[in-house]
Amino acid sequence: MEHARHVFRVVLVLLLLVIAVVIGRSFLIPRSFGTYGNYRFDNVAEQAAARPPLHAGAKSCADCHDDRYVAVGKGRHAKVSCEVCHAPLGKHVKDGDVVAKMPIDRSVRLCAYCHRKIDGRPAGFPQIVLEKHVDGGLGAKGCLDCHDPHSPKL
Amino acid sequence: MDETRKGTPSSEPPPPAASSPGRRDFLATALGASGGVFALLAGGGALATSAEAGGAKGDDRYDWEAHQWAYLIDTEKCIGCGSCVRACKAENGVPDGYFRTWVERYLVAPDASHVDSPNGGLDGFAPVQTAFEPTKSFFVPKLCNHCKETPCVQVCPVGASYRTKDGVVLVDGKSCIGCGYCVQACPYGSRFLSPETHTAEKCTWCYHRITKGLKPACVEVCPTATRQFGDMKRDDDPVRLAIAHGRVQVLQANLLTEPQAYYLGIDKEVR
Amino acid sequence: MPEISGYAFPNDIHVHWSLMIVMYPYITGFVAGSFIVTALYHLFGKNEFRPIARLSLAASFCFLLVAGLPLQLHLGHPERGLFVMITPNFTSAMAGFGILYSFYLVIVMLEVWFVYRQEIIETARRSRGFKRTFYAALALGTYDTSPAAVAIDHRAVKLLSAIGLPSACMLHGYVGFIFGGIKANPWWSTPLMPVIFLLSAAVSGIALLILVYQVTAKLGRRAVQADTITSMARWLWFFLIITVTLELLEIIMLAYENSEAWHIISPLLTTRLQFSFISIQMIVGSLIPFILLFIVTVMNRYLHERVRNTLTFMASLLLLIQVFSMRWNVVIGGQLLSKSFRGLRSAYEPHLFGREGIVMAITLFLMPFVILYFFDRVLPIEAPPGAYPPEHDGSPEPGVSPGAV
Repeated sequence: MEHARHVFRVVLVLLLLVIAVVIGRSFLIPRSFGTYGNYRFDNVAEQAAARPPLHAGAKSCADCHDDRYVAVGKGRHAKVSCEVCHAPLGKHVKDGDVVAKMPIDRSVRLCAYCHRKIDGRPAGFPQIVLEKHVDGGLGAKGCLDCHDPHSPKL
Repeated sequence: MDETRKGTPSSEPPPPAASSPGRRDFLATALGASGGVFALLAGGGALATSAEAGGAKGDDRYDWEAHQWAYLIDTEKCIGCGSCVRACKAENGVPDGYFRTWVERYLVAPDASHVDSPNGGLDGFAPVQTAFEPTKSFFVPKLCNHCKETPCVQVCPVGASYRTKDGVVLVDGKSCIGCGYCVQACPYGSRFLSPETHTAEKCTWCYHRITKGLKPACVEVCPTATRQFGDMKRDDDPVRLAIAHGRVQVLQANLLTEPQAYYLGIDKEVR
Repeated sequence: MPEISGYAFPNDIHVHWSLMIVMYPYITGFVAGSFIVTALYHLFGKNEFRPIARLSLAASFCFLLVAGLPLQLHLGHPERGLFVMITPNFTSAMAGFGILYSFYLVIVMLEVWFVYRQEIIETARRSRGFKRTFYAALALGTYDTSPAAVAIDHRAVKLLSAIGLPSACMLHGYVGFIFGGIKANPWWSTPLMPVIFLLSAAVSGIALLILVYQVTAKLGRRAVQADTITSMARWLWFFLIITVTLELLEIIMLAYENSEAWHIISPLLTTRLQFSFISIQMIVGSLIPFILLFIVTVMNRYLHERVRNTLTFMASLLLLIQVFSMRWNVVIGGQLLSKSFRGLRSAYEPHLFGREGIVMAITLFLMPFVILYFFDRVLPIEAPPGAYPPEHDGSPEPGVSPGAV
């Protein structure tokens, strides 16, 4: 075995390398890794706190705009959340204070998202052909010239 | 419906018969400056990650073992308005040209079909001309299915992608190396590599909302109740009842990914 | 913005796996293929491969050093590249990279060390100053060059070759598994994928070594051994036939079963991949080399040496292109089809410059040759006389000029 000494030398070097790698790696593994599975468990709480929710639902609007909320609830748009046509609550209110005016989109485009007649919408859903709905086309008039968006049925 | 409130009990009486947090409670819990939430975990240990570690107690914290989330889409009701796509984009800051959720339109005849999703449905749908006369047409909203047997979690080389105990598939943005393997592995096209973070991203069922007792943004705004979100661990949950007792479908069922987003009323043309 | 024909899922229109991901299997293919050639001598004792045994070992090593670079260049977060070794998720084939690469690197380095140890020590003895220290360190401080020790070296080389061969195959085979295991993509999802990749790697390795051998022989004014070239051509032809058979078999099977996969793959092949698959991979890259190697193999004894060398050279050059196009068609082709199975996107055009560009790809391909040059400076590839044990049967190999091993 004397002539095989160089083999032992190489194996020793290799062993030291492997040990160094294994020990080094254990320092680099994130602490919470593997708690419940092969992932960094701290991330679950990070994701839950990733951003403040932006949308709040129509009932949150009711706290300040209760009369409007009740009025909408009596009309055809009862199931349409305020945030669908206006912006998410988070853009209007932060920490209890109004930070920006709630955007009001009066364009035909907004109403057309739901009510323009296209294939695919369930039968019975109110749809109109934009060009034919009004004499002279909708370009001249907007939808809001005749309809109240909060209670649109005429 | 569990109401998640942070801090000491509110001095004003809770709104009568409220089924979702009122504005003040909402702001106090969710839009507050810290926006923190506590995750109470199995085994009795609490892992508080927000700065107010000492403040909340007991039922204020979210217990991920108490829920098993599921999603139901009733395509018979979808009107293709695109509100969900716009809400998701606003809620999650989704980059332009990428989609965490989208809506597809199907125009189908017995021997022809046409499918499109202009900009994911973000700007709604305009009328379209097809070479054939469709005999049926409908919309199909799509999003991450949060599968039980996820091909995406299986292929992540670093364990950045995982499934939580409450059934949500998430991507750890700090561990993800941006290799794109999960994007290739998802059969539904739900994932993308964000040009901003250079990591994989996808629908999270608004984890930052559902852990506070809210619904995902897309469900919140849907005007026709097409999209519904529910808890399979609650006996009286309408979504659970529909899945348990109704005829439901999932996408690409043959792949056995066991999606947790169930569909009502889709057609053989839908993949 | 890419153009879509038909309908593609909105997120499906991006080609995330770029030219770098085409280069990675291309380069590891050379690593595995070169090692197969060196194992044909060191492990299987095929003496006609002796002239290129050290060259192929060095080539495998040099390409291995570059192999990790395309991946690093592709990652969204290259600084997190090591996470694959720190928190690997072993259900993912990609996580195998850390272990397979490290293990194979150690094997190759050990084999190089044992092959060269005697010469390293002798060089150290002949030198002075820094060069002496350098070579002594390279020898890890050993000094035993007695015949017994050298015999142990040769046994170690054989053992390492035996371990290295499946390791090299795994290092490249797992790449095939990465694609083959994706059930979402019908162009990738097949059990044949690791096998096709590996056989294709053998083709690329042998072809590369034919080219490098002829070029270095010409530059060094050495004769190209006829039996070496003949044997390499024969093995190359053999691997080519099997590789192309399997590649075609996969497509034929898909067409025969005529399932939804074929409904999107057929337009993919006939529209988007028409040039790169049919023209380049199959006709220019497979059919023509098949004919050239057929001539070399079957009509070998009628061929003048110059003709044989030229035909083999040309076939090898075309096969390098074929293997590249095969990687391209698999990686890029699979991303041109949408998971909706209803749409195809327009062809992927890599940038010229940039992290994942054409210039970078060419640089990555040339880098191993630069490293090989420096390797040769430190550890000469041409073996001195007596470096190899005498032949088993004692009779001189036909065509071997004395002293040139």
